[in-house]
Amino acid sequence: MRTETQLIAAAQAGSADAFADLVQLYRDRLLRFLLTRCASYADAEDALQDTLINAYRYIRSYDSRWRFSTWLYRIAIRNAGKLRTPEVVELGDLRDEENDPLLQCISDSETENLWVSARRLLNDEVFAAMWLRYAEDLSVNDISTALDRSVSWTKVNLMRGRKTLDAAMNETENQSEAYG
Amino acid sequence: MDKLAKRLREDAGHIEAKVSDELDHRIRASLQGVTPVVEPQASKPPARPASFWLASSLTGIAAAAAVIAIINSQQVSLQQQAPVPQATPANILAAVPTIDLKTETAVMTSPLQQELDALQADIKKAEKLVREEIGL
Repeated sequence: MRTETQLIAAAQAGSADAFADLVQLYRDRLLRFLLTRCASYADAEDALQDTLINAYRYIRSYDSRWRFSTWLYRIAIRNAGKLRTPEVVELGDLRDEENDPLLQCISDSETENLWVSARRLLNDEVFAAMWLRYAEDLSVNDISTALDRSVSWTKVNLMRGRKTLDAAMNETENQSEAYG
Repeated sequence: MDKLAKRLREDAGHIEAKVSDELDHRIRASLQGVTPVVEPQASKPPARPASFWLASSLTGIAAAAAVIAIINSQQVSLQQQAPVPQATPANILAAVPTIDLKTETAVMTSPLQQELDALQADIKKAEKLVREEIGL
C-alpha cells in the first residue's frame, strides 16, 4: 500500500487513479462539510465533485509544507463560496426542514445538533473555522491557511464562535431542564 | 477537552454522509478526463530600483520645503497688509469692568521647568533648521 506522499507524487505525474485513492480518506469528511453549506444533497455532491476535479487539476501546485487535508479544504471552501451566490442564499433561506440536507443527515438525537445552531448563528467563515477546529481537529495555523486569513483573525473568530455556541448550548440545556 | 468542544465533536459525528458508489464512479470518470496543470501564479510587479526611492524622497522633501516657503511668505504679506489697530477709545476702556483677580504665580517643579526648557530649545532648533533649509 502506497503512502500519502507516494500517492501525491503519482497524482502529480498524472495518475488519476492515484489521486482517487489519495482522496478516498477525505471524501466523506468533505461531503459532510459541504452538506452544511449547500441547499441540497445533490448540490453538496456536485460541490464535492468540483472540489476533487479542481484539486486534481492543480495538484502540481500543491505545496508539501501544507497538510493535504488543509489544501483540500481550502479548495472546498472556495467552491462552496462560489455556490453561495445571492440567488442560492435566497433559496437556502427558503428551504424547509424536509429538504435541508444537513437535517436529513443528522441521526436521531435528544437535543438539537449544535452544528445546526452554528449554521444559524454564525457567518460562513466563522462556521468554517469552527468546523475545521472542532470537527476536523485542524490547528489554528492550518485553519488560517485554509481560510486565507491571518492567525489572529482565526483566533479571534474562533473565540467569538465559541462564545456564541456556548450561549446557545447553555440555553438549550436550560430549556430541556425547564421542560423536565 | 472542554464541554463545548466535546459536544461539537459528537454532533459532527452524528452527521452521516457517505459518498455513494454512483458518485464514486462519477468522480473517477470525471478525473480521467482531467490533466493536471500548474496553477498560474499571480504575477508580482517588478521591484523598484533604489534610485526610484531616492528620487521619490528628494521630490517629497523639495515639495515640503516649497509648501513651507509659500506659507511663510503668505504670512509675511498678510502681516504687512493687516490694518494697524486704532487706539481704543477711553470711554470703552472705562466701560469694561475690572476684575480683581487674586492670582499667585505657579511655582513650577524642577522636572517640568526642565521639560519646558528642552521643548523651547527644540522649537528654536527646528525653526533654525527650517530657515536654513528654505534659505532665509
